[in-house]
Amino acid sequence: MNAITRAYGLRWVVLPPLVGAGILAMLVGAVVAAPRELVEGDVQRLMYIHVPSAQAMYLAFGVVFVASILVLWKRDMRWDAVARGAASVGVLFTGFALVTGMLWGKPTWGVYWQWDARLTSTLVLFLVYAAYLLARAVSDPSDEQAARYSAVYAIVGFLDVPLIVMSVRWWRTLHPQPIVARLDPQLPDSMLLVLLISTLAIYLLAIWLIALRTDTERLGQRLLGLRAAVDRREEA
Amino acid sequence: MNATLAVLAKDLRLAWRDRAGWLTAGAFAAISVLTYSFAFDLATTDVRPLLPGVLWTTFLFAGVFASGAGFQSEAEEGTFDALLLAPVSPTVVFVGKLLCNFIALVVIEFALLIAATILFDEPLLTPELVAIVMLGTAGYVSLTTLLGTLGSGPRIRAVLLPVMALPLLVPMLIAAVRATGESLGLFGGDAPWMLLLGVFAVWSALVAALLFPMAVER
Amino acid sequence: MAAAAARRVSESIAIEASALTRRYSGVDVVREVTFRIPAGRKVALVGSNGAGKTTLLSLLSTLVQPTTGEAWVEGHPLAGRSAALRRSLGVLRHSPMLYEAFTPLENLEFFARLYGVEDSGARIEELLRRLGLWRRRHEPTAVLSRGTHQRLAIARALIHQPTVLLVDEPETGLDPDGIALLDELMLRAPGVTVLAATHRVDRIEAWADGLVRLDRGRVAEDTVSAAAPRPSEVRV
Repeated sequence: MNAITRAYGLRWVVLPPLVGAGILAMLVGAVVAAPRELVEGDVQRLMYIHVPSAQAMYLAFGVVFVASILVLWKRDMRWDAVARGAASVGVLFTGFALVTGMLWGKPTWGVYWQWDARLTSTLVLFLVYAAYLLARAVSDPSDEQAARYSAVYAIVGFLDVPLIVMSVRWWRTLHPQPIVARLDPQLPDSMLLVLLISTLAIYLLAIWLIALRTDTERLGQRLLGLRAAVDRREEA
Repeated sequence: MNATLAVLAKDLRLAWRDRAGWLTAGAFAAISVLTYSFAFDLATTDVRPLLPGVLWTTFLFAGVFASGAGFQSEAEEGTFDALLLAPVSPTVVFVGKLLCNFIALVVIEFALLIAATILFDEPLLTPELVAIVMLGTAGYVSLTTLLGTLGSGPRIRAVLLPVMALPLLVPMLIAAVRATGESLGLFGGDAPWMLLLGVFAVWSALVAALLFPMAVER
Repeated sequence: MAAAAARRVSESIAIEASALTRRYSGVDVVREVTFRIPAGRKVALVGSNGAGKTTLLSLLSTLVQPTTGEAWVEGHPLAGRSAALRRSLGVLRHSPMLYEAFTPLENLEFFARLYGVEDSGARIEELLRRLGLWRRRHEPTAVLSRGTHQRLAIARALIHQPTVLLVDEPETGLDPDGIALLDELMLRAPGVTVLAATHRVDRIEAWADGLVRLDRGRVAEDTVSAAAPRPSEVRV
């Protein structure tokens, strides 16, 4: 525990240079180093941000889930700050994944939006966590009751994911889809390497952003606490 | 068990005495069916392809709409504290409220099914469809009851409740609409929709009953 | 440990609080509150607005969880939130906690059922007659005056014959007759332990035999704990 605390204390020293280097490597890799895809062309390079964004989304929502359990269990508002920070980052990356997916879909599928199982379930996830952020935004950040309620919602939402994915998949099997050019499962090594680097970079970025957002939420909570303490002292 | 029944009887009596909330939900449901009739011209065209969607969106909106109503007075009059003070587990209180919401919603839904049967000349009160409606309602009522209790303050209840509830209910909505379509003789696909409805009902009841006591702790 | 266990099962201490603390947004509304109230004592809980009286009563009645610390009511720890603990408590809060759409009779019938009161019909009639509500038992609660609400709230709190009463500003809205009934049925009821928050300092002498004063969440004055048996004395 002590080691974790100490490592967490170093987050502003360690993370920014790592994230910077990672993003730089990702850009160079995706734009310059990776070969041009023969069928799809340059638009395929969106994959290097699309796939990692979708991964980061699950990472962030996983953090929201764990932090929400801890809000209920430990009754500590710091976990609420983590949950909210991770939720906003998760919604951000879900948005990235959706937008890059649509930009890739237009030249490839001919339409921006396909009611494809994966796209649709990602959109539902986006809505669930956007609703979570809305619910948390209309209440006082230091309101413990609201934090507990939001935590319950986040837990239900996360546990709902398998059901959402399953139901949407079954729903979409009804309408035969145009055979779309799918990514070849066997990517060339160079592409795979760039994808790995990008995933790592986006993961680091997500972790950095979650830490930033968490600290911001935490400062907001402490500010409210200080205000309450000042009010109390003035009254006395 | 006795305490659950006590809460159920109390909530049903309160719902009856303070009908405004449930009547509004029922009226809302009736108006939406009417609105759909005008929007899609359900009067003249073959309604069967549209009917499952019309029925279930109406049920869901009515359910979400009404779910907070029963809890509103409980919160305002402080009686929810009295329930928490009683020597019974919060889960018992939750199950009582859940059953009350279930009964009230099923009443509304059956009234709508009868009305739709008459209006669209489509036999809707088949045993199969009744089973689908009961199972689907069991699926969504757990989550709307839970979220209705959580909505603290009128702002969340009025505006946010549908926004929060509906994405969670997507699996249940898809399954219910498809299963209803199949029972009306439409192609529903080969997925086991009734199974999904059943799984969702059990899943949501378990999750809600488990989380409710933790949510109401202060 | 053995001493602690013995102390908890002792019947001579009705309410014991040990370093009870409740924090809201960084402010300790109740702070390290420790006291022991022997069974049968009638204790006034005093202090200015915001001193933490209501929060302390909410903590002891299990409605609010302590941030740290623990308390026992008739030997039952709050953390257990057992049915036995709740059955021993009679709680009168600022809100009368009554169903406005119900009649007084229906209100009491429901709570009697919820508490599993035996021979509830006789108990309800006794309370309604005693509190002068019998004639009005079929009127909707909503039309009753504030004072009548409070009388009915007293009946609700007493329906299951609790042995420990946690009472918040009980005089609210009561006329002199009502106050006499309050004293007789609650504050001076024989064999019952009472902890009552009150502003009516002029009335304390009429019913209290002990006093706990809170100041900004801390115990500032305590005339009961010293007289309570020490943990070692009650070891069995």
